[in-house]
Amino acid sequence: MAQIGLIDSPIPPISLMFTGFRQLRRTAVATMQPTRFWTVPAQIKHEIHNSLLVWDALESRMAEQAYTVASDSEIAEEKSSAFPDIAIGIDIGTSQCSVAVWNGSEVELLKNTRNQKIMQSYVSFKDDVPTGGVSSQLTHEHEILSGSAVFNMKRLIGRVDTDPVVHASKSLPFLVQTLDIGVRPFIAALVNNMWRSTTPEEVLAIFLVELRTMAEVQLKRPIQNVVLTIPVSFSRFQLTRIQRACAMAGLHVLRLMPEPTAVALLYAQQQQQIAHENMGSGSEKISLIFNMGAGYCDVAVSATAGGVSQIKALSGAPVGGEDILQNMMRHLLPEFDTHFASRGIDEIKSMASLRVATKNAIHMLSSQTSVAVDVDLGNGRRVSKLVDRAEFEEVNRTVFDKCESLVKQCLHDAKVDTGDLTDVILVGGCSLIPKVKDLVKGICKTEKLCEGMSPLEAAVCGAALEGAVASGISDPFGNLDLLTIQVTPLSIGIRANGNSFVPVILRNTTMPVRKDLIFTTVRDNQTEALIVVYEGEETSIEKNHLLGYFKITGIPPVPKGVPEINVCMDIDASNVLRVLAGVVLPGNQQPVGPIMEVRMPTVDDGHGWCAEALNRTYGSTLDLMTVQKKGHA
Amino acid sequence: MLSSSQSLPCSSVRLQFSRSKSIAGKPLSSPNVVGFRRPLAISAACATASAETASSSFYDVLGISVGATSDEIKAAYRRRARSCHPDVAASGRERKSAAADEFMRVHAAYSTLSDPEKRADYDRRLSRRIRPPLAMNQFSGLSASPASSSSSFYRFPRRTWETDQC
Repeated sequence: MAQIGLIDSPIPPISLMFTGFRQLRRTAVATMQPTRFWTVPAQIKHEIHNSLLVWDALESRMAEQAYTVASDSEIAEEKSSAFPDIAIGIDIGTSQCSVAVWNGSEVELLKNTRNQKIMQSYVSFKDDVPTGGVSSQLTHEHEILSGSAVFNMKRLIGRVDTDPVVHASKSLPFLVQTLDIGVRPFIAALVNNMWRSTTPEEVLAIFLVELRTMAEVQLKRPIQNVVLTIPVSFSRFQLTRIQRACAMAGLHVLRLMPEPTAVALLYAQQQQQIAHENMGSGSEKISLIFNMGAGYCDVAVSATAGGVSQIKALSGAPVGGEDILQNMMRHLLPEFDTHFASRGIDEIKSMASLRVATKNAIHMLSSQTSVAVDVDLGNGRRVSKLVDRAEFEEVNRTVFDKCESLVKQCLHDAKVDTGDLTDVILVGGCSLIPKVKDLVKGICKTEKLCEGMSPLEAAVCGAALEGAVASGISDPFGNLDLLTIQVTPLSIGIRANGNSFVPVILRNTTMPVRKDLIFTTVRDNQTEALIVVYEGEETSIEKNHLLGYFKITGIPPVPKGVPEINVCMDIDASNVLRVLAGVVLPGNQQPVGPIMEVRMPTVDDGHGWCAEALNRTYGSTLDLMTVQKKGHA
Repeated sequence: MLSSSQSLPCSSVRLQFSRSKSIAGKPLSSPNVVGFRRPLAISAACATASAETASSSFYDVLGISVGATSDEIKAAYRRRARSCHPDVAASGRERKSAAADEFMRVHAAYSTLSDPEKRADYDRRLSRRIRPPLAMNQFSGLSASPASSSSSFYRFPRRTWETDQC
């Protein structure tokens, strides 16, 4: 237990991945800067295996597209010298994804070889080399749903098998198996009638390799730096998984940006262009941004003026179009779960048919008030039903209720009255649903929604802007004189006062930030204390995300309550969290022993188990309590 | 024991090992701060923190006059953020961490002055130029701490959106 997972070394095995990929040497080696979150090596063996597959995929892509690294070509040199290393923006959605880049004068969405700007997020394991939705020729939805493809990785990444979102994914055509013990779920694709296991990180990495190749071919330069959009509700552990997937794909993450804040940045730029003459002193606009895609619903309130987008509050939850789809499938076929329990090829096929038909019906209900669903499930089973909009809204009431509560919470946290809102912006696939529009309009007491933002492209455009700004690019016309002042989406604190969560940094705190709290011992002569760091909003500790733990030793043997244990948390502008802890005795200016500084998160997979084991082994022997607060606390 | 669990955010780099009463901002001697990632910045931050309590007011930090309107405060905050936020300030580790400290000071000033209640309180203390006895009093505005955000400051949910919600 004393081993703290703070292993901050550039892990050597990564270099193994490059063996045999000579073409890639410059791009790859340059991009494989050790990211901040390498943790316990136990995981690595597995991941090398995965990584090799990722690189297989890459190699095959290169062969297909006669891909060469751009640094060998003179044209590329020219281009890259004009715009050195502008980070590209990537929006990996639960169901769709896109890539955009600042082209020197504006944001441009990149297209794949089939001329698509928006590509489906999935990876098929049907062939020897996995292929993803960027390059693949699969056009028929049924092929994606045949069980051989894995999708919705954004819903699954970094979640343990006790997570309700993982449980909700068990009715997807590929295999998601849970044992409910707090480890990563077993995920597998059906290949030649066998289950081939994979991980969300691997799937994401394969997909990112395709996106990267696509971007490199088009921009004729190596791509290293990326800005990715992420859901507000992602825990810091999930962020490390995204970073790991990027590292496997040879990408360096410049910034992970909560989706609505990317939209806020795009909005800031648009406002900047509109009010160009009175730059820097343009009147402040308060906007509410509601972003709902297939996997997540996020809300932000932002104050914008002079190109500065100051995020006031964020809220988000893993609820989205996928939930709506599953609710509808169960509504159309009440015996859904029993019917698909066996997961034979026929069942998967009929599940795919139902899924496609339901999805189409939901899309139709956005423009018409009722729709007839008629789908043949094989074996004489048939679903034939007329569904109207009211029925659809009733079936998905919990989803819409959740959306409402997120908007209300965000407005409340931002301390903004609806009357102060200048603009209400709706983006994401689900923003096309009439009920979603109505509920946001209703809460915000507005009749008009902000126009001029593409619902599916706003987030990626914002990410591309951030990529250009963070790469230090300036624009002669001031189009990049932008800044986002971010806030923390979740509270961060430690376990203390028995089994409670004591936040040190509250959610919606402006970053960068540094805060500290003083704790003390709970037993006489207690010489050690365990600092267990969690992230979340729940008062009961188990419901929050474990980020890591470390022990403070060498506390002088004095009565309980005497030593002051100062726990300081520091988040820098690139969202790196450090936890510092030191002990001091009253009357002394000097701390006892050295101060511990630990970069979080330190946990790896299986952390659900880990928290339980800690509790079992140490009970309350290493506990802390807060130093008495003032009456008003 | 301490009456307050929350210490000064601004000077917390040096970890509040002293009782919060002794907030004078004496930098800890360097051996104690070995564990920090930027020992140089710590003394700098401490120096500024103490200077702040002594001479430079929140108004000085934002570069505005004592009678500034709330729009002026917001504009000044944005202007300062545009120059000192680590995202826009020059790259380089040293510069970035210095920029982060600078931005946190600017934000602390803004979060107090943009809240009418906190600002009035701050102005009273500023005019008296006396040090309140306890850190909690002195910095309640500045700290925007977990303790204070759940406290009476926010009991009245009115149009206080410009309050820093830390």
